Amino acid sequence: MSETRDTESSAGGPGGAADARRGRRRFLALMGGLSACWTGASLYPAYRFLSPQAAPDPFAENGRAAVEKVTPADVARPGMGKNGGYAGRGVIIFRTQAGKLRAFDSKCTHAGCNVEFQGERLFCNCHGGVYDLDGTNIAGPPPRPLTELEAFEQDGLLYVARIADPAKG
Amino acid sequence: MSMDQRFVPIPSDAEDALPPARSTAGAALRAALRRFPIWPVIAFLRGKRVPQHRATAWYAMGGLALVFLAIQIATGILLMVYYRPSQPWASVQRIVNEVPYGAFIRSVHHWSANLMALTLFAHMFSTFFMKAYRPPRELTWLTGCALLGVTLLFAFSGYLLPWDDLSFFATRVSLTEIEKGPGLGPWLADLVRGGPDVTIDTIGRFYVLHVTVLPLAVLAIIGAHLLCIQLQGVSEPDRFAALPEREKKYRAFFGDFMIAEIPIWLAASALVVALAAAVPRGLAPEADPFAAAPAGIKPEWYFLAPYQMLKLFPGHLELIGLGLMNGAMLGALAVPFIDRAVPAGARGRIMTALGAAGLAGFVVLTVWGRLS
Repeated sequence: MSETRDTESSAGGPGGAADARRGRRRFLALMGGLSACWTGASLYPAYRFLSPQAAPDPFAENGRAAVEKVTPADVARPGMGKNGGYAGRGVIIFRTQAGKLRAFDSKCTHAGCNVEFQGERLFCNCHGGVYDLDGTNIAGPPPRPLTELEAFEQDGLLYVARIADPAKG
Repeated sequence: MSMDQRFVPIPSDAEDALPPARSTAGAALRAALRRFPIWPVIAFLRGKRVPQHRATAWYAMGGLALVFLAIQIATGILLMVYYRPSQPWASVQRIVNEVPYGAFIRSVHHWSANLMALTLFAHMFSTFFMKAYRPPRELTWLTGCALLGVTLLFAFSGYLLPWDDLSFFATRVSLTEIEKGPGLGPWLADLVRGGPDVTIDTIGRFYVLHVTVLPLAVLAIIGAHLLCIQLQGVSEPDRFAALPEREKKYRAFFGDFMIAEIPIWLAASALVVALAAAVPRGLAPEADPFAAAPAGIKPEWYFLAPYQMLKLFPGHLELIGLGLMNGAMLGALAVPFIDRAVPAGARGRIMTALGAAGLAGFVVLTVWGRLS
């Protein structure tokens, strides 16, 4: 069959040439399709390679996470506060005037900078977001309150844990 | 005199244009032309001309941006010798404090980047107000927009690499904004960061973008952009095009205009060196992902406008601000498809007014962002 067509096209007959063009187009479409499939299939491993691995639960260990860079001495008296970290995230820990230890994930709910403890309020230097000491956004661009964490001291170290019901704050 | 069959004969107009055959340059050029029959290309380029009018100086902006790009490539290659993506801050500190001329080369890279962005804005707005984007030059405009976008991505990715306080929070803010984008936002932010937060993994991604992906992209797009300009010639503003033919004055691009640009290029290079010497680029303390953002933190001037927008639209209004900024960028892409008439009609005048308003808004937001 293909042999006949070859003979025809090399003979230069008009029908033969059109036939050869059609065959050529079909071959190109097939090769184009195969190449596209091949490229698509090889993009998948590249995409998976670039995709980040799922982040581990920060409280995986006994439902709590050790606090870094803040010691109990840093928050010993009312009105003291300091930025630190837990499981790779930022945390702001301070002691209220009533003596209660409080902790918030320090990532501002606006654009993600770490907020600063300023005695009466929590303040973000990037775009001027202001939160009160309950973590409620009271001025500036933040759309939501900060995420509160439960802070506690154990054997001279600070830990934070997820608060089961954020409303009890 | 018959040449060997293997060689191409030199066209007669080439013979007229080339230096004498007995000079070294003339002999070398003839030898090259006998081997590569590219005279038609050269003849075409020799015909390229620049309209001569009051605003001719603005035609120098594109070439000037290329000069700054060349400085970026040269200093960027040098910085890569000492930069370590696994020890970002320490390696930049070493460049600044220990490597001879390290602080200088880094400062040149910083200042040339700033001037390149500034020149591209000038280039874009000058072609905009001269209405050079109208058909048949849509692709020139689109590739130009892409080049501005790639330049800003260069600035954005390069900003993180020193891994100091400023770069860490600037990147975190930008990616948090991307994360808020509807639909694919969170997916894209995670993919760019390499996880839920900006970490040393993010450096790897930004480094690869900054030194391989974006350079390849910028060279490819510049090639397309320059090809458009060579094939279509320089656009003539309406007022110039309306002149009677004999009153139109042109300058040859390669023989005249480009040579006249050399002093501008030298002055621009001198300006970069002077700025780098007078205002060296500092290195803030190493990024501490746990510390509070430092007081008074501000982005570079070319990102002050979006920065100010972020502050102006609080809370849930923020999506409006983001929508306005993205709308302005998409609107810029649509310009050559909306304003098409030559000479400019009512649409053209509205477009000019919109562009002026956009420029004014950008300047006001930038100054406001700086002062606030």
